[in-house]
Amino acid sequence: MAISLHLILFSAFGLVCVAGAVNLLVQRHPINSALSLIVVMGSLAVEYLLLGAEFVAAVQVIVYAGAIMVLFVFVIMLLNAGEEERTGGSRVAWLIGIPGMLAGAVIICWALLRHSDAGSAVIGALPGAPADIAQLLFHQFLLPFEVTSILVLIAIMGAVVLAARPESKQKTKKEG
Amino acid sequence: MVPLSYYLVLSGVLFACGVTGFLIKRNIITIFMSIELMLNGVNLSFVAFAARWQQQKPQLAWPSSLPCSALARL
Repeated sequence: MAISLHLILFSAFGLVCVAGAVNLLVQRHPINSALSLIVVMGSLAVEYLLLGAEFVAAVQVIVYAGAIMVLFVFVIMLLNAGEEERTGGSRVAWLIGIPGMLAGAVIICWALLRHSDAGSAVIGALPGAPADIAQLLFHQFLLPFEVTSILVLIAIMGAVVLAARPESKQKTKKEG
Repeated sequence: MVPLSYYLVLSGVLFACGVTGFLIKRNIITIFMSIELMLNGVNLSFVAFAARWQQQKPQLAWPSSLPCSALARL
């Protein structure tokens, strides 16, 4: 297989992505983990864009790298989360867990790469413009879309109930 | 042209990083971040499959996975 621009860009941003993910694991302070997660999200958006999934890439940047990461940083500051303490890990984890995990990863990668003739993704292959997605989402998949919005509504109600409960208890105590 | 398996390996590595973070991290916020990492890895595999088979529909899996993560965060 000839080295194409697609492959070069894929490997570059894939490496950035994996480096960010590993950095997320290594860092001890949550804010550093959150910042490296932003790197992962951004490079994943580039990967989506390479495949032609423009809508998914845009939403990835807006929702994940924008909204959700702001939420994370906000929660970290609100809870005043400090550095985490590290324990060395048990001997069983070092002896069995890590080699087992590495062996599993190697086996899965080997099994996937063995089938590298299963087809390839051409650059910009996907008809993923927002108009196409909207056609699908609001015609064929309208009912799942609405059901999802009801699910989100229930989640919001749950959050309100959970957040309001201690206050009402205090109120009843004061009244009683 | 990038083989589909490369994308799957990348998504598998991201998912594995997420699982590892979920297991070794002690802060609840960092655990949620690891869950996000796993979700993103799976989404990358969805989009890669969609590009391989020239289908639009798997891209819709992205918005449907979003409420799950939002629910998890609550």
